[in-house]
Formats: sequence, C-alpha cells, structure tokens
Amino acid sequence: MTTLVVKDEDPYGHGIGGWLSHVGAVLFGIPDTYRRELRLHRRRTIALTIMTVILVTYPILNSMFLASFSRTVFPLPLPDDTTVTFMMIFGIMAIGLNIVAGFAGLLDLGYVAFYAIGAYTAAFLASPHWGSISIVFLANVPQGFPGIHLPFWIIVPIAIIIAGTFGALLGAPTLRLRGDYLAIVTLGFGEIVPVVFRNLADVTFNFSLGPLTIAVEHVNLTGGPLGINPIDAPYLPFANVIFNASAGYAPVYLGMFLLVIAILFARNLERSRIGRAWMAIREDELAAEMMGVNTLRTKLLAFALGASFAGIAGSLQASYLGATTSDFFQFSTSILVLIMVILGGIGNIWGVLLGAVALTYVDKTFLPYVGQQLQQIAPSFPNPAQFNFLFFGLILVAMMRFRPEGFLPNRQRAAELAAHTQADVEAKVDEIVAVDTQAETEAAIEADPSIILDNTGPPPGQDETGPDARSPETIDEERKL
Amino acid sequence: MDQVIQTFIIGLSNGLIFALVALGYTLVYGIIELINFAHGDLFMLGSMIALFLIASVFGLSASTPALELVGVILLVIAITMIATAAINVTIERIAYRPLRHAPKLAPLISAIGMSFVLQNIANLIAGPANKSIDNLFPTTNLLSVFGIETIAVTFQQAFVAVVTIPLLIALTWFVDKTKQGRAMRATAQDPDTAGLMGVDVNRTIALTFLIGGALAGAAGVVQILYNNVTVWNLGFRFGLNAFTSAVLGGIGNLSGAVVGALVLGQINAFSDRYLSANWTNAIVFAVLIAVLVFKPTGLLGQQLADRA
Amino acid sequence: MSLGEPTGQPAANTVAPRGSGGDTLVHSRGVTKRFGGLVAVNNVDFDIPRGSIVSLIGPNGAGKTTFFNMITGFYTPTSGEIEFDGHPIVMKRRNKMRSLRPHEVAGLGIGRTFQNIRLFGTMTALDNVRLGANVHLKSRWWDAALRTPGMLREEAENRESSMELLRLVNLEDRAHAWARSLPYGDQRRLEIARALATRPKLLLLDEPTAGMNASETRDMTNFIRRLRAELDLTVLLIEHDMRVVMGISDRVTVLDYGTVIAEGTPTEVRRNPKVIEAYLGRGAADT
Repeated sequence: MTTLVVKDEDPYGHGIGGWLSHVGAVLFGIPDTYRRELRLHRRRTIALTIMTVILVTYPILNSMFLASFSRTVFPLPLPDDTTVTFMMIFGIMAIGLNIVAGFAGLLDLGYVAFYAIGAYTAAFLASPHWGSISIVFLANVPQGFPGIHLPFWIIVPIAIIIAGTFGALLGAPTLRLRGDYLAIVTLGFGEIVPVVFRNLADVTFNFSLGPLTIAVEHVNLTGGPLGINPIDAPYLPFANVIFNASAGYAPVYLGMFLLVIAILFARNLERSRIGRAWMAIREDELAAEMMGVNTLRTKLLAFALGASFAGIAGSLQASYLGATTSDFFQFSTSILVLIMVILGGIGNIWGVLLGAVALTYVDKTFLPYVGQQLQQIAPSFPNPAQFNFLFFGLILVAMMRFRPEGFLPNRQRAAELAAHTQADVEAKVDEIVAVDTQAETEAAIEADPSIILDNTGPPPGQDETGPDARSPETIDEERKL
Repeated sequence: MDQVIQTFIIGLSNGLIFALVALGYTLVYGIIELINFAHGDLFMLGSMIALFLIASVFGLSASTPALELVGVILLVIAITMIATAAINVTIERIAYRPLRHAPKLAPLISAIGMSFVLQNIANLIAGPANKSIDNLFPTTNLLSVFGIETIAVTFQQAFVAVVTIPLLIALTWFVDKTKQGRAMRATAQDPDTAGLMGVDVNRTIALTFLIGGALAGAAGVVQILYNNVTVWNLGFRFGLNAFTSAVLGGIGNLSGAVVGALVLGQINAFSDRYLSANWTNAIVFAVLIAVLVFKPTGLLGQQLADRA
Repeated sequence: MSLGEPTGQPAANTVAPRGSGGDTLVHSRGVTKRFGGLVAVNNVDFDIPRGSIVSLIGPNGAGKTTFFNMITGFYTPTSGEIEFDGHPIVMKRRNKMRSLRPHEVAGLGIGRTFQNIRLFGTMTALDNVRLGANVHLKSRWWDAALRTPGMLREEAENRESSMELLRLVNLEDRAHAWARSLPYGDQRRLEIARALATRPKLLLLDEPTAGMNASETRDMTNFIRRLRAELDLTVLLIEHDMRVVMGISDRVTVLDYGTVIAEGTPTEVRRNPKVIEAYLGRGAADT
C-alpha cells in the first residue's frame, strides 16, 4: 500500500519556470525511466528499442553502403529515403487517428480530408501560388518573390490550427450520430474536401449587398486538378539544410522530430483527465455523462486533436514533395491509415506506430520489390504493387475476424473486444438463475406475507452473490407487473 | 423545357437502377444493421459478369435477331442474378456472420475490406480500363411513335423500366406475402425473439443477402445494357448513390429506398446536365450528410419490420 | 465486508459548498413523464430536505428509476418543475420542456449509482474514481499535452483524494485492479466512491443493497449513515429491502404506477393500508 507523501514545499513550481524545470527533470530522468521500463515490460521495451535504433540509424547506413550493396551485389527490398520519410508522415497520422478511433472510439473514415487540408495550407503559405502578391517572411526565398512564403516552422502550427478547426467544424453537428452513421458522414467529408480542392481552379462570382461588392473573375483558388507547385521545402538556415525529396536522408530526421513530438503529445493526453474521459466514453458513454463528463465536447476534442495531427502530416508531406494535388488524397489513404491503426493495435500508440512503419514499408517498398522480381521471372503476372489494396482489404477482413485488437494490443481494447461475446453468455446465465430463485421465494411469500415488511432473518432462497439476484420483496413486486 | 423533360427521363432511368441496388442496402441494414459497404462493388461485379456473358459467351451484337436477343438477355439476367446472389451469401458467411456478436463497427470495417477486395479482383481480371460492349438496341426514339421528336425515350430506357419495375413489385410481394418475407420482417424487428419463435435467423439473414445480391446482379445487367460500359470502380459511384437513396428514404424501409432512388436519379441527372459531373458526387455526399445530420430516419422513416 | 474506521469528521476535498436552496435541496412539483401513451411518472410532488436520508420505494415499474433519471437530466419531464439547491434543472423554453444535460446536473452536485452496476470495467478502480473527479478539475487539454505544473499538481491532488475515497470504501489495496475483476460487493462500493468523487451534495443510490446478505446490508446501511454525517450529504435511496428503508430513512415516499400514494416517516408509511395493498394486493390489506 503506497501513500503519496505531500511535502511541505510544492514540487511543481509555477509558470514557465516550473514547466522548464519539470522538462529538465524528465530529460535527466530518462535513464532511470528506461531502466524501470526495461524491468517492468521487458519484451516490449527491448522490441521498441530495437525498432528505434533501426529507424534512427537506417537512413545513414542506407546511404553509406546498404543502397549500393542492393544495387550492385544483390537486390534487397530496402526502403529508400522517401519511403522512410513517409513512414514518419504516416506515423504521425496513425497516432492522430489513434486518438480519434483508439482513445475515443470514434470511427473516422474521412481522415484524409485533414491530411489534404494540412497539405494545402502549406501550399497556400509557401509557394508562388498567390502570384499577384508577395509576402516573404523568414523564408528561403528572395524578397519580392511572388506568392506567400512563410517558413516551415510557422506553417506547421498554422496547419495544426486550421486542420483542428475543420475537425471541430465537422464534429460539432455530427458527433451526436451513432457509430456507423458517423463513419459514413466522415467518409463523405473525406470525399468532399478533395473534390473541392480539385474543382476550384476557375472561380468566378459576383456578390453585392448595398455598398459591399465582391467580384472575382477566373480566380485559380486551389490549382485545380494540377494542384499547386512548387512548394517551398523546409529550410534550416543555421546548417543550410533543405529538407526536400532530393535531399537524401535529412528529411527523415525532420519527420522523426515531428513524430517524437506527436508521440509525446499523444501520450500526455492519454495519461491525463481527458484521456480517462475518452476511455470512459468508449466503455460506457452514458455512465460517463452521468459522472459529469461533457461527452459531446470531449468527443469533439478527440476529433479536432486527431485532425490536427493529420494537418502536421499534410504540411510536412507537401513541403517535402514540393507539390500537392488532390490526387494524393483518396479514400484509400484514409483506409490505409485505418489499417495501420487496426493492424498495429488500436488504442496503443506503439502499436499504431508499428502498423504505420510496417504498412508503409509493404506498400512503398516491399510490394514494388516483389513486383520487380516477378517481372523478371514471369512478365505477364500482374504487378502486386498495383493491387496493393487487394492485400490490404484481405488484411482488414482477416484482422476483424481473427485479431481485431491488433498485434500490439492495448489491454483495454482487447478486453472490450473479447467482452462482447462473454457478456452475452453471462447475461443469459443470470436470467436463468433469477428465474429459479424466483419460484422458490414466491413459495415462501405465499406461506407468510408478513416477511415482506418485517424481516427478522435472511429469507429462504436468496442468492447472495449474483449481481442480478433479488431479495424476495423485489421478486414479489415483479410478480405484480 | 424539352431539355428539362429529357433530363428528367434520364434521371428516371438512373433512378430505377439505383433503386435495385438501394434495396440491397436497405434490406441488409434493416435486418442486421450493417451498412454493406461492398454492395456497390457486387453490383459492379454483376455488370462485369453480364458483360462477359454478352460479349464472350453468347456473342450478342446489334445484328442479333430480336427474339434471340430477348431470350439471351433473359438468360443473362438469370445467370448473373444467381452468380451475384451466390457471391453475396458467401461473403456474408465468411466476413459478417462470424462478427455478429462483435462490436457494431467490426462488420462495417470488414465490409470496407471486402469492398476493396472485390474491386481489385475485378481490376485483376478485367484490367483497369473501361470495358464496353456495343449497343444492342435499336437507336430509334420510342416517342417518335407519338410524333414527339424533341424528347427521346430510347429502347435502353424502356428496357430499364421493363426489367426493374417487375423486380421491385416481386420483391414487395415477397416481403409482404410470403412466409420467408415475414421471417425477414420479424428478424429485422427483434432477432432474439424471432429465433425463439422458431425463425432460423441464420437462414433468414442468408436469404436477405441472397435477395439483395440477386437484385444487385440484375441492376448490373441493366446497367451494362443501358450505359454499355463498366469499369472496376463503378461500384463506388453507384454504391454511393444507392446508399444515399436508402438513407434518404429511411433506411430499412423498402418503398423509401425506391422513392429515395428516384429522387437521387434526378439529382444526378440535373447536376450532370446543369452543373458539372465533377461536382455531382460531392453533391450526393452533401445530401447524404444533410439527411444523416438533420433527419436520420429519412423521409419515410420506418423500419423494414413495420412495412405491413 | 468491513469498511474503514469512521474518522468522525468530514474528509477534506469532499464537501461541496452550499448553494442557495435553503433547507430544501430538491424541490419538484407536478413532475410527469409520458412515454407515448404510457404515463411512467404522474404529477409527482417531491421535496428532499437538506441533510436527510429519503427513500423512494414502490413496486417494480412504479416509476422510481424514471424519476431518478429526470432528476439527473437523463430524461426530460413531460411537465413539471425540478429545482436543485436553487438551480432549475428543468425549464420550459418556447413551449418545449428542456432539461439540463446529465453532466451539467452532475456539475451542480448530484452523484448517482446505478441499479445494474455501470462501472468502467476495463479501467482500474483508481481510474474509475479519478474519472468522477473530472467534473470539477480545471486543467485543459493543452495543460495535459504539455504537462504544465498546474496540471501535474492537480493530477497529484486528484490521485490523493481519489485514494482517500478508496480508503473510505476500503478498496485502497485494490486500487490498481480492473473494476470488472472486483467481487460484487466491492464493485458496489467502488461505484459509490466514484459518485462521491464528483463532490455531490445529493447522492442518489439506486438499490445499493441489491444482492447483499444480511450482514453486508447492515454494513452498507451504516456506511450510508456515515456518509451523511461525515460528508454532509443528502441521500436519496431507491430500495426494496425494507430493513434498510425502515432502518435509516428520515422520510419515505411510496410510488405506485407513477403516483405518490404515501409519504411520511417510515413508521407511518409501513402502517399505511394503501402501501400494503400496493405491495401485496387487495386481500392482504384486510388481514
């Protein structure tokens, strides 16, 4: 039995100073935390350590000798720098969707919409798209250059806010709907947003109300089907590094940096009062509401926060690739992220990360590799890389059938998913028990009705352990119905 | 004005095809509360199977004599309906029945996976490009018989009506008047009680999928003969419209599905004509979202069980 | 079952500040609830004096839980008024009856337990209780994401007061067990601890002794008395066990078919022929 000993001095401090000292304590405490985790969750810690070491060192090793080895000696299905960068991007999205679907239990089938919003935010704020004006602020572009050009580290927070706002806007009217209807509505949103981006290439309208007149003629709002390019790449002035698609492995580490921040945020949210509120809502929304949890607002928060993670991912993707178009944002992408979450372990941050890394690898490296090798052996055989969603669809069906909790299950979700069959059985058993008890106690009441109002001892036939067992008074009253 | 009427006629034809598919959605939802994501793709498979039968097996063309044409088309309809019915029952058996007691969203996710599987199978077998057949019907305007030249009703459009309307009537009769139809309605209302009353719930659900699958197959045949073209992702657009029809009419409600489908046929036709096909899908989605948010029970909002 | 030792004084952090209702904590007039053609609650007037223990009894289907659900904001009455500590829970706006949402009612100071236990089964006992405290915690999501000093302090205090509550119900050594793994009696007490975490002024207990034997029932009865004394609570019970009802109630209200058929002290109610008739049928009242 442990008790919290509250010292006289408040160990938490106040304000920024307090926060910084807390951060410092956490950082210095990392070795101890690691040792403790290793002791308590040996397997998981080792697995995660290996995964982290591989991820961190791989891009460098790859560029140093692995890639040339694969080219010259023996072709290996090695992920290239773009793929590993996308592992980071999808990792951020998987964590975001995990907040919505894993923590709060809301199925969002249109997650790609927020990805698109993040990407187009970067496109609007860091490209020559708005050619008739020029706003250049701390960017790697000469003054007077057409378009708006803000640096990446300002664009990311803006993308977070805009994507999060759209998440809130979508959620506000729809989170009252039940699960499957909500899923369909989010799917709709996920379709409408890219369509809007695709079709606003030639906007003309006139609007006048009194002295106010707005007239636009043939304004190219979103770049249409061709999209917007070029988009400024993230730039680090001190080291003169550009993080675009032709910059080798540097963007991987930028992605990794954002991913680590995403993981920290998600973990902190999980272990807070809001995380507990999400868990409670997922388990029994009505009871949570009765205990004072504002369920609508809490669900809305999950939705908006989840969306903002996709905003980060989108802005990174657009800046990294240097271009964006609505073709990048299909329904299949929403489902791909969902599969990552389900495959990896819904509700478990590390699980969904594993899912993201694994599926990005399979989709972008492994299947194309198999396709290439098959091409040489059997040229007419279909290329598996083009039929990736045949596998992913089968994975979904199989996962839901055999292991819905994923490979690194979150213990609660695993229990909930298993509970559904067990609870049905238990409920039926209780029904049967109650009926038997009722017959016995009815007989007792017939014999002596006064025991209803004036008990002197334990009545016969009472089952004292089942949750639905009733005292004889109750059973008699039920008889009256 | 002529254009409006013409658009209306086009909308009617599309609406009837939507109706056949929408019934599949609404029947399945009414009985197990599952949005069968893969249903639109089953419809696409129906059109693919029909195309294969028409073009490769029976070798029909515009020059085939009328009697033979009609006979073979009926045969194609029958074969396709049987095929899609069988496929649907199989899918239910392997992907949805094991999840009957799982959390509500599990079968939905499984259905999404199934949808991708069906699409990719079609893509694998038929290739990514549009597949087409020649027009089999004469191109005369049926209304020219009445001296109307400015508005056209083609043989294809008449064909759509001739096939779909009897099927709709047959389905209504089946659900209302037969023992199995009653079993379906009872299961839709309360599966456990229906089971206690002696209804074989598994069989009834399988029957629902069978009927829904058959209707989707018929719709597929009609589609390929009407539009002369099919493609592996055809199911998305038709599925979206059919599902929205079902929701608009009141999901679980058969007549609602038909009414909703007719409305959506018009929305599609008028949007394609007067706005742009680029926006039509987005508009249909907007309608879907609006119905779900503001009136989730739909326009005719009743359950399959209350149909009597 | 044994409870922790009575401490004889109110536990810190659990006493709710007084509102403006005066001596009457709950005031309801003419409360009616119709479900289509069925009248579940029919024109009920019901007041609960502050600091009292009141029992609501009646045959099954009498409308007791429906009434609970209206006080807590889950159902909106078809007509009538309900006021809690001076705050209206039910109001009529533009000719439509509107009720506060359940979480708002919880925020005003009403906590409840459920007839069929509704704990968060896959959360630990401690987390269940900590969740109850959410309604009066102040830290926002960004405090949580950044783990600000304010949030950390609040979390530590919450943890401490939640452990206090677990001590109160003698579950502190099961604090990290999953709620659904606890035995039945423990679950019942955990549910009460969770309700107490919301810092209620009024505690609604829905059949708290269901499924308990005589000694467990005695312990629960004493526990409820202690809650009233130490935490300055008002308690409304739905109960079928007459030993409990007669043993601790200050006042008893009897519902039958949604109508109040008797109200008074336990002794008055127990001798009331209408009450006997409602429970046993016409013949028994004449014996």
